[in-house]
Amino acid sequence: MTSIADVLSDIEHLSLSQALAKSDHLVGAGLQVLHIAGFVMLLAGVLFISLRLLGWVLPEQPLPLLSRSILRLVSAGLVLALASGIGMFIASPQLYFYKPVFQFKLVLFVAAVAVHLLLLRRVARQPAPRPVLARASVALSLLAWFGIGMAGRMIGFV
Amino acid sequence: MSLDAWVDWAQSIQDTPFGTALAESPVAFPVIEGLHLIGLSISVGLLFLVDLRLLGWLLVDVPATRVLRALRPWSLAGFALVFVTGGLLFWAEAATLVASPAFPFKLLFIALAGANAAYFEVVIARRPSLELGGVAPPRAARAAGAASLLLWSAVIVCGRLIPYVTHW
Repeated sequence: MTSIADVLSDIEHLSLSQALAKSDHLVGAGLQVLHIAGFVMLLAGVLFISLRLLGWVLPEQPLPLLSRSILRLVSAGLVLALASGIGMFIASPQLYFYKPVFQFKLVLFVAAVAVHLLLLRRVARQPAPRPVLARASVALSLLAWFGIGMAGRMIGFV
Repeated sequence: MSLDAWVDWAQSIQDTPFGTALAESPVAFPVIEGLHLIGLSISVGLLFLVDLRLLGWLLVDVPATRVLRALRPWSLAGFALVFVTGGLLFWAEAATLVASPAFPFKLLFIALAGANAAYFEVVIARRPSLELGGVAPPRAARAAGAASLLLWSAVIVCGRLIPYVTHW
């Protein structure tokens, strides 16, 4: 049976991982900048949709009309954050994987993506979603993404 | 004032009991860093939505001034969080920050982004043509949006470079 340690070792020995690990520190800093940029894009979009779902901004504007372009921004941010995150991880998988806060972030990330795809995105496309459903989607979504931001920032300190 | 004098001044701030307590706290320091990042996402993130609307890239069916007015208080609340947490982070590691070339550049880009926003609010946003929904805003508004996007991006890049570029 293949253990997690074997998988991490395999990831570490990929040629892309080796190239990233041996690259200049500024390449790593560049990946971090892209990771933050992706997070800022996705969180801004989720926050905007949340504020509209709660009726706190632009209540007179039709929800599906607002959501269309914003959801595309969230998807773009998600792809950017995920791609840059994978880049950082594969460069030093052993360093990250065994940190509890990293594992917590991963679990929270899976939950956040599930909440986004199954709840928030669907609710945001409806002309008049049920208020209870809207508020629950907003609460779960923001809690998960803010938690991911906090956990992500902590990785470097533990 | 020489760089050494700045570093001495910053060191004295960092060495105050509160600065030392912050820097050495295993909980407070990372939490403040986390809140700084979340504040950034709220403030600059929502501002980016306004910038992208000014460029005509999203929310084109909503008048630009409606987007601006709706998001402004939330963005400003995010900026309050960013500045408070940023001030605390400076208190805890002032000497490190002052020594890094990335830090004064970050402050410079914040000042330029602020000046751009002030010019936009006081001069450009007062123009009646901005009210038109579904119509691309005038060139001056698009330029202000593009400048805001670029300047705040530069702020983020400089902020992330601080631990990597430690001295001149």
